[in-house]
Amino acid sequence: MKKDPNKGFIALLGWSLNAVEAAEKFDRRYVVVAPDWAEEYCKQHDIPYVSWNFERLNDRSVEIAETLKEMGVDVSIPLFEETVEWAGAINSVLLDNPRLYGQSLLLRDKALMKRRAQLGGIRVGIFEEAHDKGDVVRFLKRVNQTLLKLDGDPNDPIHLKAFDKAGCLGHRVIRTPDEIDAIPDEEFPVLMESHLDGWEFAVEAWIHNGKIAFLNISEYVTLGYSVFVPASPELERYREQIRQQIEKLVKTFDIEFGLIHPEYFVTSDGEMYFGEVAYRPPGFKVFELLERVYGFNAYQASMLVFDPKTTAEEVAEFFPREVVDADGFAGCFGVYPRRRVVSRLEIPEEVEDHPYFESHELTPPMEETVTKRTAFGTHWGLVYFRGEDAHTLRDLLKEQEDMDYYV
Amino acid sequence: MTPPNTSSPASNDKLTGLLQKLDASITQLSEAAEFAKPSKVPHVLDIARRVMMQEGGCAAIEERAERLEAEGIFDGSDWAQPQILMPSLSGGSLQSADVTLVVIESLSQLRMLAVAKGLYRHTLISDESALHFLTQVMALNLSLLFTAPNEAERETQGRLAQLPRLLFQHIAARIGYEHIIDELIQEIWRILQQRPIQVEPVKQMITQIALSQADPAIDLGSSGQGADRLVSSLYGPTQACREDPGIDVYRERLSGMDSGALQYEATGFARAMHDTGLVSPYHPVLLRHLLDHSDQLLAEALGLSSTGRDCLLCYRELVHTIIRTSVHPQTSQAAYGLALTLERGILYQPPIAPSLWRQLGLTLSEWSEARLYAAFGDSVSHRARLMEGVLCVLGLPLGIGQGNNPTCQSARALSMWSFNDPDYLLQMVTWAARDDEIIMHFEGQPISSRDSIGGVAQNLPLDLDPVSLLVVPHLDRIYVEMGRRCVGREGDPHRWVNPEFHGWWSGRGFRINVDVATGQLSDMDTFLRHFYASYHPGYNGNQPLIHPQPAGMAITDSAARFIGWHAITILRTAMDPSGVVRVYFFNPNNDSGQDWGDGVKVSTAGNGERFGEASLPFPQFASRLYIFHHDPLEHGELAEVTEQELSEVIAMVHRSWGANRLPPTDLQAESGPTDQG
Repeated sequence: MKKDPNKGFIALLGWSLNAVEAAEKFDRRYVVVAPDWAEEYCKQHDIPYVSWNFERLNDRSVEIAETLKEMGVDVSIPLFEETVEWAGAINSVLLDNPRLYGQSLLLRDKALMKRRAQLGGIRVGIFEEAHDKGDVVRFLKRVNQTLLKLDGDPNDPIHLKAFDKAGCLGHRVIRTPDEIDAIPDEEFPVLMESHLDGWEFAVEAWIHNGKIAFLNISEYVTLGYSVFVPASPELERYREQIRQQIEKLVKTFDIEFGLIHPEYFVTSDGEMYFGEVAYRPPGFKVFELLERVYGFNAYQASMLVFDPKTTAEEVAEFFPREVVDADGFAGCFGVYPRRRVVSRLEIPEEVEDHPYFESHELTPPMEETVTKRTAFGTHWGLVYFRGEDAHTLRDLLKEQEDMDYYV
Repeated sequence: MTPPNTSSPASNDKLTGLLQKLDASITQLSEAAEFAKPSKVPHVLDIARRVMMQEGGCAAIEERAERLEAEGIFDGSDWAQPQILMPSLSGGSLQSADVTLVVIESLSQLRMLAVAKGLYRHTLISDESALHFLTQVMALNLSLLFTAPNEAERETQGRLAQLPRLLFQHIAARIGYEHIIDELIQEIWRILQQRPIQVEPVKQMITQIALSQADPAIDLGSSGQGADRLVSSLYGPTQACREDPGIDVYRERLSGMDSGALQYEATGFARAMHDTGLVSPYHPVLLRHLLDHSDQLLAEALGLSSTGRDCLLCYRELVHTIIRTSVHPQTSQAAYGLALTLERGILYQPPIAPSLWRQLGLTLSEWSEARLYAAFGDSVSHRARLMEGVLCVLGLPLGIGQGNNPTCQSARALSMWSFNDPDYLLQMVTWAARDDEIIMHFEGQPISSRDSIGGVAQNLPLDLDPVSLLVVPHLDRIYVEMGRRCVGREGDPHRWVNPEFHGWWSGRGFRINVDVATGQLSDMDTFLRHFYASYHPGYNGNQPLIHPQPAGMAITDSAARFIGWHAITILRTAMDPSGVVRVYFFNPNNDSGQDWGDGVKVSTAGNGERFGEASLPFPQFASRLYIFHHDPLEHGELAEVTEQELSEVIAMVHRSWGANRLPPTDLQAESGPTDQG
């Protein structure tokens, strides 16, 4: 697409083909900042590219900020969890706003993030940092004492999460002290949280000039397995309350622009609990789902709200109306092989014949023996569905958990 | 008889929905930036596959063929250049386990169709060439048009196996069955002349012809003339069942017939059966009816000569019991097997009749019943199904086929035993079917099929006749175990395995012309000289071959390129009607008529072959031979074989499978000949 020199010049941090594709079709100038393995591909396809290996921030880190500044780049967008603090550092130089770096560090550390939320008057569950297994045992005990459990009563579970990893990576659920033994030492330190019984959901909110430009609620059918957008009418009932929560979050974290992706629980009495927030595109391809129902490209949306040259009118024109403009519901399911030994990929007949079934990105198994899942593990690929009715879609996604895609 | 092709509104809705998705995915592909296109293609292919699996889906793809190609669906592959595609390769792609390959090939076929029908003017291929291409593909893969997927295809392709069939039905309907039907009829006769035991695929093809003849929507033009005998042999071979009235009506008609009319029916059935090797389901109805009438008519209805008739009268009770228990409309081929078994006169061998009585009362193991059920269902008792198989194997020793399995050795052994040692075969069947175990001895050591770990075949085959179905898995394991016990011995293990596995009559003299370690040709001159002296009537004192002998062939494709090692049986060498000395042999492959390249075309009829025999002129046969057995005590006249004869054969070897095996030029060895299949 023809680029508009009066609009912003944007750096994408990290390699994502979908993001590049979206940028190519958008009127902003862009450059991909990615490790050197992407160089050949970018050259071959005339994709604007700057080589950078995102390791830990160090003395040389200012180089990339200066390189981009010399090129005339206005802002950088993190595409992955690992590039969030880079974007903070770079943007603090590009936008001459040192606070942005501190903000990004808050958004990168789950323990810091929770404290900040608490300070801002946002409800969070009980949480603590653990440096070794002993800390976990103590926390598990104390949480259950608080709940007035007697010895022998089944424990309420606690959750362990890595400080700085995206999504379900390193996420474990612990119910008994034996399970604590199975945690490898190298996973420490971790964040521990009490379990909240409730309805977990995520939000994707595009913020421009400190205001919510578009708010999507993503409903989880089963955490780690399936998600769909927009949420079912039952969850959308809470939209107003959710919007207030997000406004609180934006204020607490002092977010002026960008895409945030927080997770919440809503308990049966309608109380919202904050889980965590990420400053990057969500996993599980929610962007693709949004495009499927709303028709706008979520990467382009992010470029729009990050770009300091974007006007409020342009933002208003870009986004559709929430919920009412959605054409049906779109969801996806992450497939895990259910058998220990698999020989081939076979989409179940009832899935393939279902009118809601759209496509899948599964590949044939590389090896026959399935590695045992640790923690939540990584799915083998996503299956996409779309249809008119939220409940049919939700039930369909739930049913997928009992199906064998790999036989 | 009618294939389930009824359309329903539900499936139309589904197609509409899928087509929307397909069009959207094509649009996505066309709008994608150049670098992103490859990532969009899998999605288009996946939806295209689902579209083609729907009724009317292939037509929808045909309409979109030009657009799909323009958007670059074939880019970067051979399919982008339709003018270089070869019809002979399409079948392999369509039956591949690789979904992408199947879909791309199908899209390419539909693109050809759009070109052939003038919907799409292609810059690289004319409508005429496209039509020619399609006709050849169809003729080469008729089974995809007319038969349900066999077990092997189901195993590798699953539901996908339906796709090539829907594709072919669409193409055939569009270009007209008349383009392919004559080809098909010729093909059926060619297969029937080899008298296979398994005739189900042939029956399905004939049924399809009958259906297309009856369908007013299909204009066969002047084609299909030769189909009448085929169709009538199955659906109405005689006056009283001409219009295919159904079994019950026919039975009723029989009860009202006098002996003159019955005689007329009997000869009608016998003629149809012996003409084609196919038995109409009406035929057993008559046979069972005649049990209570006259043995004379029974012999007539089986089309027996004086030998067979004598045999029938001698073993009257046995034959009656066999017909009563085992010859039903669902097992009609048993009638043909029975007739030929009687004709062979083998009932006069003392162990045969008692063995057959044992077979009639045999209790099948659970495993055997499960296998028979899996392959044939349970429309008749499993015992009757197995008996049908036994009769067919005894009557048609050369009709055994290995199916789509690498078990040529076992199929060959079964055939050889039926041919040469039928009571031993019946013993094998009993052990396998009743005891789930066969024990054979190798150099004095017992080998149980139970203990042995695995055979050549990775999966249990199902596409076999009832006898092979039960016995082959045992034989396969024993065969491989025998080979295992030869590990470490110098030279080729077939030297020891073949005689122990097949029978004492396999010659203990052994010749091979390939060096096992290097895979190179070795000692061609001595090898061929011994072969000529032992087998050629001109050099062995005009001694006809006494026992069938196992031999190994280097199989080549039509371009004379090496494909693999294969086990066959040499049955006889003789002068054919035109005076050419030929080797007649049994090939356990399902279809022996093969083109081995460089002018070597295996003949199955017209050159003095008996049913089921394949033949080649002696030198051509020698040019593909790599292993044979002989009797070292009957060595023939080695010295009289002329240099010129031998050098002609050696030249043929060098022009075909031996091209890359010339010893001094290259030390890099291909893998030596260890496995046959």
